Amino acid sequence: MLPFLLTSGLTTGALYAMVAIGLVLVYRSTGHINFSHGELFMLGGFFAYSLIMFAGLPYVVALFLAVILSFLLGVISDRLVYRPLIKAPGLTMVLATVGFSYLLKGIGRYFWGGKGEYLSIPAIVDPAPIFINDIPILPQQLIVLGAAVAFMVAFALFFSRTKAGKIMQATSENPTASYLVGIRVENVYTWTWGVGAAVAGAAAVLMTPLTLITPDIGATLLIKAFAATILGGLGSMTGAVVGGFAVGLIEQLASGYIDTSLQEIAAFLVIMVVLVFRPAGLFGVYGQRRA
Amino acid sequence: MLKLISPVPVFCSAAIFAAALPAFANQYTIFVGNLAFIYIILTLGLNLLLGYTGLLAFVNAALFGIGAYATAIARTKFGIPYGFALPLGGLAALAVGVVVALPALRLTGLYLALASISFAQFAVWVFAHWDPVTGGPTGIRMAAVAYGFSGSWETVHYYVSLAICIASVVVTSNILRSRVGRSFVAIRESEVAAEGLAIDLTRTKTTAYGLSALYAGIAGGLFAPILTLVVPESYDLFQVIVQFAMVVVGGLGSIAGAIFGAVGLIGVQEALRATKELQEIAFGGMILLTVLFLPSGLAGLLRKYLPEWREPLRRRGDDR
Amino acid sequence: MTDAPAKLEIRGLGVRFGGLVALDDVTLSIGRAEIRGVIGPNGAGKTTLLNAVTGVSRPTSGDILLDGRTISGLKSSEIAARGMRRTFQTSQLFRGMTVLENVMTGLHANMRTSIFDAAFSSARVRREEREAAEKAWAALEFVGMTRFADRDGGELSFGQQRIIEIARALVSEPQVILLDEPAVGLSLNRVIELEDLLRKIRAERGVTVIMIEHVIRVVMNVCDRVTVMASGRKIAEGTADEVTSDRNVIEAYLGSGFDADGQKS
Repeated sequence: MLPFLLTSGLTTGALYAMVAIGLVLVYRSTGHINFSHGELFMLGGFFAYSLIMFAGLPYVVALFLAVILSFLLGVISDRLVYRPLIKAPGLTMVLATVGFSYLLKGIGRYFWGGKGEYLSIPAIVDPAPIFINDIPILPQQLIVLGAAVAFMVAFALFFSRTKAGKIMQATSENPTASYLVGIRVENVYTWTWGVGAAVAGAAAVLMTPLTLITPDIGATLLIKAFAATILGGLGSMTGAVVGGFAVGLIEQLASGYIDTSLQEIAAFLVIMVVLVFRPAGLFGVYGQRRA
Repeated sequence: MLKLISPVPVFCSAAIFAAALPAFANQYTIFVGNLAFIYIILTLGLNLLLGYTGLLAFVNAALFGIGAYATAIARTKFGIPYGFALPLGGLAALAVGVVVALPALRLTGLYLALASISFAQFAVWVFAHWDPVTGGPTGIRMAAVAYGFSGSWETVHYYVSLAICIASVVVTSNILRSRVGRSFVAIRESEVAAEGLAIDLTRTKTTAYGLSALYAGIAGGLFAPILTLVVPESYDLFQVIVQFAMVVVGGLGSIAGAIFGAVGLIGVQEALRATKELQEIAFGGMILLTVLFLPSGLAGLLRKYLPEWREPLRRRGDDR
Repeated sequence: MTDAPAKLEIRGLGVRFGGLVALDDVTLSIGRAEIRGVIGPNGAGKTTLLNAVTGVSRPTSGDILLDGRTISGLKSSEIAARGMRRTFQTSQLFRGMTVLENVMTGLHANMRTSIFDAAFSSARVRREEREAAEKAWAALEFVGMTRFADRDGGELSFGQQRIIEIARALVSEPQVILLDEPAVGLSLNRVIELEDLLRKIRAERGVTVIMIEHVIRVVMNVCDRVTVMASGRKIAEGTADEVTSDRNVIEAYLGSGFDADGQKS
């Protein structure tokens, strides 16, 4: 059972890590948590669903189009919610993004939900397990895991090697200095929201063939991503990735060895336990806190 | 003439109107009125936490649920009459609220928001999975309350809710006029300055959490019988949004705002009852639009057009 | 310095933030009803000293004694409850509360009624509130600000807020008050009023005052003694005239771009 739990844990963990990356990206540059991040994920999945099921596009094409649409959705979030409130106190921003999350959730339900149905994209490859040394492995899981890791590597390269990525990094570390050297900080924030949403959208498109997607999935994924970021220390990108894998593994191992119902609540327990005992996260440093 | 448009006369007129309403209203109006009273109590409780003390905690929907479940369990499992089951609901929520507050005292800002939103989700999970106690996903069904008066029990329940609602408004106003209310606002404005004045943060915040929980629990106890069914979905994250929308649209840190927000948004919810997606769009959208364009909510309009309107410790609108 | 025992004694106080030494081995002894000025260039550790004394930041070494009893390590609200109050560099008057209510918050620690009294507005709570309001009014009268009693704390000018903050600090009849740059940003007329107020506090209230101040004329006019700090250390102490002619002091100021008036040049 262990190898099976490990591959499932790593696969879901990789997706959580991707959602957490977007959350941390926005947090690092703006000091705010985007409570509508889960709904950006949800809509990314539904975009891909429509592109595949109604427009008949192949999966890979739908994946890239959905990522672009998610990016635009992130840009819209920035213009509609973040930028008008850029000087507002933290409480106001939380209320605004919480309100926005329900607005998006309602839109998602209006177009893709309503009948209490769960939507699913057909499997990318044959869903039957293959056996390696008598260990059952789902090929689809391996593909998703591989793709998620590839996405994260690409993201890391974008962040450390490209000019846009370097500007984003510089702005998150010191907005005033960036402004002084001529970087248009507000535009960088727009990019940050867009890229964060795009990574979440990609995660959703990768996840949908494995599980199902519903308008309510955003809140679930948001909690998992919170757990990942809190475990990794809010504000640390590496921490978010490590935390995402950790949450995925904790869920699978707890449900496999203790009780299946723990899969649903492992993330809540992680958040509550970590915050009660280490209010700055496991690897967090107080100095990184901006809010 | 202008003096008549001040809180006490306006509030008394509204209360008299509410008391007379059942004489010329149908069952449905009485049901909606009853809901409005319950949500006024909830909104006042959330406002104490969010509007006056400035604590961004998403716990009140869960505490509302705990009040409802505790009342339902007391009645159905232990045969306790409603007159005792209702305050038990309030006390159960108070107890949980204070226990949750203790670890939450160390958290501020975003960390509090994250921890409390997890708690809210966790509570719904417990409601749905603790079958022997909560009845699991199907919940607890309970009989109508036998008040022993002639006429429909719903009308009597309406008056019970109205009485408790009026009491909550009066108690809230009294608290805000006292040391306790001022300490809440002092903490919201600056924890360091409040501590420098020898205000005990731990005790004051625990008081705010406890009071807020008591309001939510009593509202839950009143809510449980009117649907005759207590199920987990009633207390999920959407419930959080409904309450937050009422506080925000009405105006943070204002009693009149809490009343406007609760009554107005119950109207919206009833108008959209059949379609969850439109409710989500409406409530989410209203929070967003209010935050963007009317940061002090309806209470801000009151301040602008009726500067004579006095309320204790009313939050200022220009806080950004 | 008088022979009477010190009201407030600070012995070898040190504060470190990680590797940064913000305060290093500072020793001060301040008598009853003394007005002590603390001056020094930016970054000298003056506000850190004030924060350490009031329990906002925790000292890493040394001891602080109020009336001979140690207070270091106590929570800031506990220190305040022992009769020490402060004002802030950036005014911290509470918005959403009237000026009178703001001053009343200074009395909360002495108020005894419970939440139940408050909820039902009992006769006890109404009496206690009335007494608190009267004391707060008297404190506003003392600083000459009663005309603003009914205004919201956030509506007033910066200078008015700082004077009301002093009333809020005085209302509980503390033994020691610490003022963080009370004169900064005030016009000359207001500065003169502040000087009168400080003298009146010393004469009528017998309160020990520790005052960080950049506006040198206030220091020269009202302080009994002055402590000069630079880079987290005490570099001189004495009367205002003594320290302004001290070579170390002049060097410390000139070295960081201040002229003899203490204004940024």
